[in-house]
Amino acid sequence: MNTQGAHSSEFRLLAMPLVLFLLVFLGFPAIVNLIYSVSDVSFETLRQPRITGLSNFAAVWNDRAFWQASWFSFRFGALTALLECALGLVLAIFLSPLIERRSWLMAILMLPLMVAPALVGLMYRLVLHEFAGPVPYYLWAWFGTSVSFLGPTSAFWTLIVVETLQWTPFALLLFYMAYRAIPTEIVEASAMDGARRWHLLWYVELPLMAPTIVVALLIRFIDGFRVFDNVYVLTGSGPGGSTASLSIYIYEAFFKQGAIGKAVAASVILFAVSFAVLYGLNFIASRRKGALR
Amino acid sequence: MTFTKIKQGGFLAVAIASLLASPAFAKVTVLGWPGGPEETALRAAADVYNAKSDVAENDKVELLFFNRDGFWDKLQADLAAGSKAFDVNLLATYSIGRYAPFMEPVELSGEAASVYGESVLKTMQYEGKQFGVPTDLSMHFMYYRKDLVEALMKDDAAKAKYAEISEKHLGKKLEPKNPDEWTWDDYAATALYFTQAVNPDSPTRYGTVLQLKNLLFNIMVFQSLPRAFGGNWMDESGKITVNSDAYRKGLETYKLLYDAGATPSDSLSYEFAEANAAYTSGQVAAMMQWNAAASDLTSKEKSPTVADVTETVAPPAGPEGRFTHIHGLGFGLNKNAENKAGGQAFIKWLSSKEAALTYARNNGAPALTPEVVTEVAKERPDLVKLGEFASKYGYVMNGGTAAKALSVYELQAKEFTGYWSGQQSLDDALANTEKGMAELLK
Repeated sequence: MNTQGAHSSEFRLLAMPLVLFLLVFLGFPAIVNLIYSVSDVSFETLRQPRITGLSNFAAVWNDRAFWQASWFSFRFGALTALLECALGLVLAIFLSPLIERRSWLMAILMLPLMVAPALVGLMYRLVLHEFAGPVPYYLWAWFGTSVSFLGPTSAFWTLIVVETLQWTPFALLLFYMAYRAIPTEIVEASAMDGARRWHLLWYVELPLMAPTIVVALLIRFIDGFRVFDNVYVLTGSGPGGSTASLSIYIYEAFFKQGAIGKAVAASVILFAVSFAVLYGLNFIASRRKGALR
Repeated sequence: MTFTKIKQGGFLAVAIASLLASPAFAKVTVLGWPGGPEETALRAAADVYNAKSDVAENDKVELLFFNRDGFWDKLQADLAAGSKAFDVNLLATYSIGRYAPFMEPVELSGEAASVYGESVLKTMQYEGKQFGVPTDLSMHFMYYRKDLVEALMKDDAAKAKYAEISEKHLGKKLEPKNPDEWTWDDYAATALYFTQAVNPDSPTRYGTVLQLKNLLFNIMVFQSLPRAFGGNWMDESGKITVNSDAYRKGLETYKLLYDAGATPSDSLSYEFAEANAAYTSGQVAAMMQWNAAASDLTSKEKSPTVADVTETVAPPAGPEGRFTHIHGLGFGLNKNAENKAGGQAFIKWLSSKEAALTYARNNGAPALTPEVVTEVAKERPDLVKLGEFASKYGYVMNGGTAAKALSVYELQAKEFTGYWSGQQSLDDALANTEKGMAELLK
């Protein structure tokens, strides 16, 4: 009994730093956010918010810019995740023999990941400028026309391409590691059983890589959904807010409109929806695991 | 014994930390406007100040810059949080009401009134108190290619083409005029004439370059157009008057030019730097731009293609006259400054004639009185125009210094760019703006 009590005290003592860390760095901001989300608050009244109920949530819910930003974030996250993972998968499998022999190639392929997203935005702002950038220069020289890369109709796709070019190496890295981890005995046994290259890929290698593919898709979707830096630098929130992601919407509500309560209410909604989606995915995964047993 | 040693060690550590944080190491930290002529001028002024023998070592100035993007938002957050990272910070006419609760009124030098004049000093006043020293006055010039306009005015065939284009797009036959006599219709007609998409014989690809990015500063450039037609944010009774014929005319003129291809198709992502790059390429005939661009656009080193042929005048006229938006940038004192006395001393010096002339000679844009500006007129002829245009055509919209003035500009930027890009109708843009402004300025 005494030993158990001592263990319990030790456990409490050892867990204390973590608990304190969570309380200070997560708990306190979370409580402040919840209070602000139901308050009328500005920069001048940060220390004396006036509780106003759910009006901030109603304002967000009825704001067409919120739904426009949500739709932009969802489309951007989904499309970039699919494109990055598809390209990363093809490159990982196609380049695997080459990377295996020349490992320094991987370092070169990873270079885009080393650049801060805001810098990527600045770089493309220059590259795509009609009078300073090489791409419009050659388009004008060869075809006598300039493409509006950041105009209202093409800005979304330009942003997709910029994001995909930067983050495909991340997917490539994950898939290359997963591909290299496939046991050679399984591949050799399948080949001996007469499996062709395509069958081997489809029925053996891809199923074995499936957990990595799902994780990569999820990580890239989350990253794309919360995009801020490169989009903000390249197009701002876009004409009429057409390229405003949810992160940009919250930033602008907070800083530019000074609507702190509304911005925090939007982030609380975002948190609640994200939590529900992740909980749902976790629930489905655990049920599937149980069924397999 | 061991506890005593620990205590002694603790005291020693505290003593060392206190020494490191002591005022003996204090400086005056000045947060400036980054990446433009204002930064160059402030650096030069700070060098002169720091070299003075009567400035104590503790009061030497150190400069601090961060990115222009979101500058005012970051400053708002820092000031509201009681930041001590800077003693003196940048201030703008349109943000004084927003920052005044976190700043302290300042004392200027005895020379300030004779160097700047009372009207310019007022751009840094809020509720009757002086919150800063006005170092730069910002306004708009119309930059145009005099070689192209002169050639147009001498050529009868070109004049006929000009009349044909103006009749087709603007509904009236116009004749080319001296740019100093232009109305906004003349500006639009010239922009269309010098556009290859409209006139394949044009020597330039575009007649103008509009800054249409969803950005508050671009609305400041735009609003002199509706203002020339009588537009204002609100009337004397506080009623929002933005949903008016004047704003309708201004917005439609920009839309007409964008749709006709008179400005680059990517203009919806253009701001100050992009517009300058377009103009200096030699492929643009005229543009409205901040006065801060004057030294670069007329510099043979920086703009070899257009420096010799660029002329500046005040923006075109409308039925109500000729107008240019003005606002001042300056420096004020952070309420939570660690070296408040040092900061106040620097601000006082910055309002002196010596500082103003140093600032002017190093690319700054102070609005100086006629007596003082003559001392730099040869080096900075644009400063003579600055003073003249500010007094003749300068305006501030009703509500333009309100605490939420910046939010109004942000709102207009979002709604107006939505119209220019074809995502919403003019009626919706104006109605949304009116509704939002009523909320912000109530």
